[in-house]
Amino acid sequence: MITLANVNAAWTWSEMLWVALISICLVFTVLVLLIGVMKLFGFLFTAKQAKTPATTLATNTPITQGQLHEDEVAAIITALRLYTSALHDRESEILTIHNIKRAYSPWNSKIHGLTQMPNRK
Amino acid sequence: MWTLLTSNAEFVLGSLETFVESMGFTGFFTAPDGWKSVAMIGVAFLLLYLAIKHKFEPLLLFTIAFGMLLTNLPGADMYHTELFAGGHVHWDSFVGTAGLLDYLYLGVKLGIYPCLIFVGVGAMTDFGPLIANPKSFLLGAAAQIGIFATFLGAFALGFAPNEAGSIGIIGGADGPTAIYLTSKLAPELLGPIAVAAYSYMALVPVIQPPIMRALTSKKERLIRMRTLRPVSKQERILFPIVIAVIIALLLPSAAPLIGCLMLGNLMKECGVVDRLSKTVQNELMNIVVIFLGLTVGATATADAFLNFRTLGILALGVVAFAMGSAGGILLAKLMNLFCKEENKINPLIGSAGVSAVPMAARVSQTVGQEEDPGNFLLMHAMGPNVAGVVGSAVAAGILLSFLG
Repeated sequence: MITLANVNAAWTWSEMLWVALISICLVFTVLVLLIGVMKLFGFLFTAKQAKTPATTLATNTPITQGQLHEDEVAAIITALRLYTSALHDRESEILTIHNIKRAYSPWNSKIHGLTQMPNRK
Repeated sequence: MWTLLTSNAEFVLGSLETFVESMGFTGFFTAPDGWKSVAMIGVAFLLLYLAIKHKFEPLLLFTIAFGMLLTNLPGADMYHTELFAGGHVHWDSFVGTAGLLDYLYLGVKLGIYPCLIFVGVGAMTDFGPLIANPKSFLLGAAAQIGIFATFLGAFALGFAPNEAGSIGIIGGADGPTAIYLTSKLAPELLGPIAVAAYSYMALVPVIQPPIMRALTSKKERLIRMRTLRPVSKQERILFPIVIAVIIALLLPSAAPLIGCLMLGNLMKECGVVDRLSKTVQNELMNIVVIFLGLTVGATATADAFLNFRTLGILALGVVAFAMGSAGGILLAKLMNLFCKEENKINPLIGSAGVSAVPMAARVSQTVGQEEDPGNFLLMHAMGPNVAGVVGSAVAAGILLSFLG
């Protein structure tokens, strides 16, 4: 029976080198083809965008949040968050309180919160 | 009463003896290679320690380690290598013999889990930086050099070509791709290869920075790249459709991986199936990760794992990673020779071509900021990083067509 292992066992160094060489060339070829497709995409869409934005700039009106792209909103929020977080000192997060003494206070005493009933025998 | 009880003493002793024999721990002493099971349980404990204490890719290493623990417990009978011997499923004896992990392993064997994980990965990936700068595809391709160099290295060490291909794919730094290819080409090596792939992915911040510093000058590390152009929603929607069609037509063997990756991405970008997108990113992904990790760990039986070939795989894996990182950096340097001053590429982003999303991109950012804290390379590095995912899936498809 011809199995995968049998077929592979017959391979020589020359065949291995060719497979490696052809494979890496194929990877580059496929990805270069994708670059070409993406470049074409970019060209088509940037050309399309170049025609449209003149109206928004010409009106000179301020951009509202609804007009911003979600990525831009995310970037602004992240920048603000980083900025405001950086204003605070970093806490050491080490507790320095070793014990708490509870001084007596009648204000939180339970006995004063209960109705004092006469002691009937 | 007493005579009634003592008359059946032989029966009682016999039953107790049968019960003790059926207990798992006796397997450590009675099996010819019982010590190997003990050693494998030790390896499982070590991996659990690394995952829990040091957080080394815990989502997968944790489940892989537990699968390894379960499969090496004598008498548990949860996984049977003989049911998958010879590279195919022995359906005739499956129903009578199979344990829980055998049933779950069918998802790996039939190539289902890696593809489902790719749906989730696609839904979590932002291809925007790659669409904005398509040249990143070249860096993603260059980082695959490690795969083919290791393919030859493994053959030189005596591995069969199909095994060499599976070992080489570790250099792609892409767990699901490595598991998918290995389950097709050399299923007997699945355990060591998965452990090596995920361990080295966790060690990207340790492995890559020395290589990045050695191959780049201070001046190169200081290069600030031009801001990426904004990418429109239409481009984001069309990208996964076009890529899936092109790759499926050119390389049908890579279609399952790339198709699933792009399906997940389209779910995210189209914006009309938010529920599906959230499900594949969270619930589906988590469930499949559990099944995948457990069953891949289960293949790491003592016989398959404790040998010199495993050491060879671990050594070749780190070579594959290093060569892939170096390939990306060197191509970025080469591209700079032909670029205008304002379009120069910081070579540090080249190392992100070895998938490992987003860890490798973060490493580029960190090393870049060591030289110039105001230099933000993360988004630029995400381009080659996601290109590496596509590149490693393409490389896996090519190896599968040659060796499968």
